[in-house]
Amino acid sequence: MAISQDFAPPFKLIAPYFIIGVISFVISVALLFGFDISSLNSMDSNTLSWVHMFLLGFVMMVVFGAMAQLVPVVLEVGHFAVELYYIIYPLLLIGTILMAFGFLFSPALLPYGGIVVLISLLIFVLETFLTIKKVKKFNLVMTTVLVANTFLFLGLIFGILMALGYAGTINIDIISLLKAHIYLVLAGYVGITIMGMSLILLPMFWLSHSFSWKPVEYALWTMSVGVTWVMLSSILDSIVLEYAGYNLAIIALILYFYQIYLIYITRVRMERDIYLYSLIFSYSSLILALIMGVIYLVYPNENLLLTIGWTLFMGYIAFIINGHLYKIVPFLVWYERFSPLIGKQKVPMLADMVPVRSAKFQFAFSSMGVIMAGFGILLGIDGLFKGGAGFLLVGSIFMLKDLMFMINFK
Amino acid sequence: MIITKEEIFKAISTVNDPEVGFNLVEMGLIYDASCDENMKAKVTMTLSTKACPLHQMIVQWVEEAVLRELPTVELAEVEVVWEPMWTIDMATDDVKKQLSGL
Repeated sequence: MAISQDFAPPFKLIAPYFIIGVISFVISVALLFGFDISSLNSMDSNTLSWVHMFLLGFVMMVVFGAMAQLVPVVLEVGHFAVELYYIIYPLLLIGTILMAFGFLFSPALLPYGGIVVLISLLIFVLETFLTIKKVKKFNLVMTTVLVANTFLFLGLIFGILMALGYAGTINIDIISLLKAHIYLVLAGYVGITIMGMSLILLPMFWLSHSFSWKPVEYALWTMSVGVTWVMLSSILDSIVLEYAGYNLAIIALILYFYQIYLIYITRVRMERDIYLYSLIFSYSSLILALIMGVIYLVYPNENLLLTIGWTLFMGYIAFIINGHLYKIVPFLVWYERFSPLIGKQKVPMLADMVPVRSAKFQFAFSSMGVIMAGFGILLGIDGLFKGGAGFLLVGSIFMLKDLMFMINFK
Repeated sequence: MIITKEEIFKAISTVNDPEVGFNLVEMGLIYDASCDENMKAKVTMTLSTKACPLHQMIVQWVEEAVLRELPTVELAEVEVVWEPMWTIDMATDDVKKQLSGL
């Protein structure tokens, strides 16, 4: 295996993804103040605006930026056309703003926003497929990239069908397709991408060795079957298939959690840094959401469902992404700015580029905010939720400040 | 003039892994080194992970360090191998101690 430096995209290409992503995170947290917990539901316009700002503006934006860097590392080939990443983020940003604004103030904007987002995602997925085409022999992590992008592609097809339905071109049940669209993109793409990338990043940062990869292999296939079943359930209108798919997703996440545990206990780097704290909070949120998910299957309750969503989004996904930014951004900046100086002058270590004290504040405020707001949602107490959102807002501003500190490190 | 394995190792010890902060020799990543009569040095090494994004750059730093620290060497060549796989047991006691936070 030889990773060519030529494969690495310039940092000026990746930086906007992370900056826009974290700004979107701050905005998405600010949007939480518009929620009214007593009347909150998963199809409320405030909720939908927040979900799109969080998932498209923050999660997808940061994931795409990370993939610009990681796809060549994982696939061991250069991008098909890395320049396409220069148009993916502006389109995704415009589409996200139109959708988030549309849900809040002007539904007429939604089809336009949706189409712009779809074009952006389509460019991303086609570029990735054309890059994957260059791979001669697949390993497990490469397979996760292929499977995740296949689900994203299918999710986009459902998205296009929904857009045509909104426009009145075709007559379809939009709500039914929406379920498949969300599941394909969220569980199929984001979920499997996180699974695959954590297999590369966690052992690399923790120096973990000699662990079995079997649990994640089973998790990958279980999740894939689960996502496929939920997708088919929306076409066949089968509630049995739908719930069977949800159950498989829960099993897949348990297997994935066990894999992370194996990587954790075989690590040789024991330092307690912001990365470790963020990942512990993230995976603890995942396991908590799984437990609540099992309870929900037995005792369905709207507040519990919202709390599960909150725990997965703001606990699991947000902390795993932000935690990784404290590792990935210093590396990229160091690679671009300091690696050419090796052997010529003293250069900083990656750890020197992390604002340790500020990162601790970020973690403290954000974790406190997630827990408080989570209880606010579960118990239906608006004041508690807003208090948590306040902590979270301070934490997200620290995150943005830390990101800019790392990007501007000289 | 003969260049010994120890001299080459000493030259490579000027290269630090920017992520963990230790040099490649104390990390146990350098398996072997030799220099022939034509002053061509050959280094056999590994990396702590196959997916290291700095793979090519680290190889380049090792080559440059050998040529910089040992000016009589004409050519430096690095071979990266994955067998035996690197484990923490290959690192020095000091590295093990610091990584484990003891």
